[in-house]
Amino acid sequence: MIEITLVVNGDRRSLRVEARRLLADVLREEFDLAGVHIGCAQGSCGCCTVHVDGVPRLSCLTFAVQCDGKSVRTVEDIGGPAAEHALQQAFRRAHALQCGYCTPGFIMTLAPFVEAMATENRLPDENEIRDAMSGNICRCTGYQGIVEAVRQAIAERIGTGAPA
Amino acid sequence: MRPAPFAYHRATSLEHALALLAEHGEDGRPLAGGQSLVAMMNLRLARPRHLVDINDLPLEGIEQVGDVIRIGALVRHERYLRDDLVARYFPVIREGVACIGHPTIRRNGTTGGSLSHADPSAELPLLARLHDATIVAASLRGTRRIASADFFRGAYETALEPGEMLTHVEFTLPNSRPFGAFLEMSERRGDFAIAAVAVVMEEEAGTIRKIAIACSGASQIPIRAPGLEAALAGQSVTALAVAGSAIDAFTATLAPPGDIVATSDHRRRLIAALLARALASAGERTREGR
Repeated sequence: MIEITLVVNGDRRSLRVEARRLLADVLREEFDLAGVHIGCAQGSCGCCTVHVDGVPRLSCLTFAVQCDGKSVRTVEDIGGPAAEHALQQAFRRAHALQCGYCTPGFIMTLAPFVEAMATENRLPDENEIRDAMSGNICRCTGYQGIVEAVRQAIAERIGTGAPA
Repeated sequence: MRPAPFAYHRATSLEHALALLAEHGEDGRPLAGGQSLVAMMNLRLARPRHLVDINDLPLEGIEQVGDVIRIGALVRHERYLRDDLVARYFPVIREGVACIGHPTIRRNGTTGGSLSHADPSAELPLLARLHDATIVAASLRGTRRIASADFFRGAYETALEPGEMLTHVEFTLPNSRPFGAFLEMSERRGDFAIAAVAVVMEEEAGTIRKIAIACSGASQIPIRAPGLEAALAGQSVTALAVAGSAIDAFTATLAPPGDIVATSDHRRRLIAALLARALASAGERTREGR
């Protein structure tokens, strides 16, 4: 067992973990953050994406011990309990979720993309949006709605048009 | 599934990492981005007893040293896509790296990890082979330079010995502006390639002065196409668009592995089709100067 300190959604906590504990499992089991979904545990589906020191990372391919002293952010912290982040609201409007299993991963992957595009003041084309979301799998195949939600969230942030 | 138990060590310097790797030998593995290794451990296809986390080591540079660019083992894939040296001298590397995994994987996966993992379908091993890169490996015994032709030994097998760690890869700078193309086919954008091909060439007054052609999917390691290279070297760049018979002569010698995704014959035809397109594209780019 190794003693580590994680700052998860702003909450600093020290805990003892086995080296082999995946960050995804520690977030779910020790921090009760059930929004961290584990779809495949081999890096294919993106459901477990969280931010480590602000950078999207697959928490199923990360050991918690590697994150000692680091800051971790999960979907629970993105828009609060009411899911008020612009991307989450766009997901609602554009019907970008069906069963919702993949949704936290898509939000965590795409929220920084929306921010980056807004900073560049640029509305990406559909190909770029699909490339940005290519690491996440939706088994309901709701991709069209997700593309639309990302487009809307970026358009709203750069002020090129009101959301549909 | 979850990984088998192991001991975790966080290396504070290269010497520390090498001492740990020497101590644990075959039971030890460096851990960098973990994008391949941890997936293998989750599936219990890999069960290292000791992981040496090298993320704190100063191996994150891309720099020009004499006539090579030297890339540190911890350079993340994403970095290639915004590096000026790579953009200027290695357009095919840039194009190939853009095909690695997905954005999150490119942001975390490392050069040393991809080359050491030696996945038969991975892009960096193919690009290293295409450019005759040199792999630099270190151990307590010293530093060793390994030609990429000798580095890849089989699927997930390299010339690295227990206690040894890849620290850099070196690509020799071209004499003139190179042109080329990288093409791959996969089931989903960014997934493991069923097959991939890469071409890089330098031309002079419309003549192919130097050309390298490599492919993956044909074998358990990335291979060059020496016969095809010889058939095209010295020819006019217009020959690239009509290389059909030379491509057929090369692919006829291949016996690609067949699996659930593609039969051997399908892979052979796919490589031929990708080669025709990549060569034509390289020729077009040369003529248009882009």
